[in-house]
Amino acid sequence: MNSTNKPPREAVKAGAHDVIPSARSAWGKYAAGMALALLPFALLFDDPHWVNIIAVTYLMGGLAAAWNIIGGFGGQFSLGHGVFFGIGAYTTASLFIRFGWSPWLTMVPIAALAAGVAMLISWPTFRLRGPFFAIATLAFNEVAFVLANHMESLTGGPRGLMIPFKAGIANMIFSQRWQYAILMFCFVALVIGVSVWLRRSRLGYYLLAVREDEDAARAAGIDVLGTKLRGMALSAGLTSIGGTLFAMYLRYIDPPTIFTLSDIGVKFALLSLIGGIGTVAGPLLGAALIIPFENWLRAEFANSLPGVSLAILGLLMVLAALFMKRGIVGAIESLFKRLQGSKSKDRP
Amino acid sequence: MDQILTVLTVGILLGGIYGLVSIGLNLIFGVVRIVNFAQGELVMFGMYGTYFAYTHLHIHPYLSVFIVAPLVGLLGMVIQRLVIQPLTSEPNMQIFATFGLLMFFQNTMLAVSRGEAYSVGSMAGTGVLELGDLKLSSVRLVTLGAATLITIGLHLFLSRTMAGRAIRAVTQDKRAARAMGINVERTFLITFGIGAALAGMAGALLTPIYSITPAVGGNFILAAFAVVVLGGLGSVWGAYIGGLIVGIVEAFAGFYIDPVLRSAVWFIIFLIVLIVRPAGLLGQAGAEEVGFREQH
Repeated sequence: MNSTNKPPREAVKAGAHDVIPSARSAWGKYAAGMALALLPFALLFDDPHWVNIIAVTYLMGGLAAAWNIIGGFGGQFSLGHGVFFGIGAYTTASLFIRFGWSPWLTMVPIAALAAGVAMLISWPTFRLRGPFFAIATLAFNEVAFVLANHMESLTGGPRGLMIPFKAGIANMIFSQRWQYAILMFCFVALVIGVSVWLRRSRLGYYLLAVREDEDAARAAGIDVLGTKLRGMALSAGLTSIGGTLFAMYLRYIDPPTIFTLSDIGVKFALLSLIGGIGTVAGPLLGAALIIPFENWLRAEFANSLPGVSLAILGLLMVLAALFMKRGIVGAIESLFKRLQGSKSKDRP
Repeated sequence: MDQILTVLTVGILLGGIYGLVSIGLNLIFGVVRIVNFAQGELVMFGMYGTYFAYTHLHIHPYLSVFIVAPLVGLLGMVIQRLVIQPLTSEPNMQIFATFGLLMFFQNTMLAVSRGEAYSVGSMAGTGVLELGDLKLSSVRLVTLGAATLITIGLHLFLSRTMAGRAIRAVTQDKRAARAMGINVERTFLITFGIGAALAGMAGALLTPIYSITPAVGGNFILAAFAVVVLGGLGSVWGAYIGGLIVGIVEAFAGFYIDPVLRSAVWFIIFLIVLIVRPAGLLGQAGAEEVGFREQH
C-alpha cells in the first residue's frame, strides 16, 4: 500500500520545467488569452445569431471555470453545482420581480449566500471520498429540484418565473445581444482571473495537494477540510453569479432549466473535462469547442432527430474520459513536449 | 389504523420495485465498486426489449425475461470491455464515462422512438388480489416476489459458490486474488454482465407497471444508488431492506406530507445515512473504502 511514494505523473511534469510562474508571466498570459477570447466577438459583432452563441459560450466557460476551482484544482467532483447556480438565478429573479431590486446590487450578497449554503452542505459531505461525494452532491441537486417545484410562492413552482422586460443598464436587461455578450465576457474574465490568482496562491497549492493525496496533505500540516470548504465557497459564489447572469439573460427560469443535470450540473464538469480539468484555460476552451458545436447540432437535427445533440455530447464525454483525460490543454502540452523532444534528438 | 396499513402495503410493494431495479447495481456498485450511472438505461433497454418481444413475437412480458436478460447482459459485457475495463482504478473517470453513456443511450432512444411512449397495456396489469380491505396489485406482488427470490439467489451465489467467492475476493484484493489463480479480468467482465442482466430482468418485470419512455431510467438511477448505499455496501440483504425503506418512506411521505416532496424525504434520509454511516445500515464499517483503495 505504499504506492503513494511515487509522485503523480503530472506533478513531475510540472515540476520539471516551471517552478512557480512569475506574476508577470502569469498575468501576461491571462491578458493575451482574454484578448484572444474577445477576438471572435470582435469579428462577428454584426451577426446577432453568432453573438448569441458567443455570449452563451462566455457564460458557460465562466461557469465551467468556477466548477473547475473545486472540481479541478481541488479534485472534488461535485455534480451538484446546479444548487448554487439555482440560488443565484432564483434569488435574483425573485428579488427583481417582487421588489424591483437591481441584480447589480443583489448579485454579490446572493453569491455570499450561495457560498454559505455551499459550506453548510459541504461540511458534512466532504468526509465522503471519490464517487460517494459525487453521488451525495447529485442527491443535493435532486432535493433542490424537488424543493423548487414545491415552494411555489418563492420559485413559481413548475410554472417558473418570468422576468418582465424593462430594458436598462440598471436592471441588467439589454435590448441588444452584444451588450449581453460584453456582460458575459466580463464574467468569464473575472472567473478566469480568479483562477489565475488562485493557481499561484497558497489556497491554490493547498487545493492541489489535497487533490493529489489527502492523507499526505494532512500529514504536511494542511487543514484539509478548511481548504476544501474555502475552495467550495469560492466556486459556489462564482457559480451563483453565473446563475444571476443566466436569469437576467434568459428572463425565464423554471426547475428543469436550472436543475437538469445534462444541461447544467454535469455540463460544467463536461466542459472542464473536454478542455482540461484542473487547468486555468481548459474550461473556457472546452466551452468554446462544445457550445457552438452543440448549437449547430441542435439547429441541424432538432426537428428531424430529437436528442441527437445530447447523444453526441454523451459519446464525446465517454471518449474524453477514455482517451483525453487531460483534455485539450493536456493534448496541446504533450504535442509541444513531443516537438521539443524530437528537436533535441535531432541535435548532434 | 386501516389507513396506515394501506399506506404501509403500498410502500412495501413500491419497495419491491426499488429493490428489483437496485439488484443489478447492488452487484456492480455494492459488491464490485464500479460506478455505473448508466444502470437505469440498462433497465430501460430491458423494457424496450420486452415491449418489442411482446408486440412482434407475442411473448408474454414475464417470459421474455429469458430473452431480454441475456441480451442486456451481453450489452453490459461489451460496455465493461470497452469503457469500464480501461478505467478500472479511476472512479472519477467512471463517473464521466458512465454518465456519458447515460446521455448517449437515453437520447439515442429518444431519436429512435421520437419521444413516443410505449406500453404493453393491460394484459398483465389489471389483476387485483383482495385480502380483507387490502387491495394488492398482482403485478406489484410479482415484482416484490421476484425481488425477494433474486436477492436470495444472489446471496447464495456470492456466499456459497466458487464464482461468487471469486467476485468478492477480487474486490477486496486484486493481487491476492490473482495469486490464488483467479482470472481477475474475466471475473470483472462476468460480474458486470450479471449486473447488467439483472437490470434487464428488472426492466422486463416492470413493463406491465411503467409506460416505456427513453427517460424512464432516470426514475431509477438515483433511487438505486440510494438503495444500495442506504442498505449497506456489499450486503445483498442490505439493499433489499434499503429498497423497502425507500418504498415505505416514499409512501408515507407522499400520503402524510405532500406527494411532491415524497422523493425529497428519502433523499434527505439517504444523505443523512451516507454522511453519518457511509457503509450503510447493514454494511460493515469501512466498507465504503473497499475497492477504492490503491491497488496494484
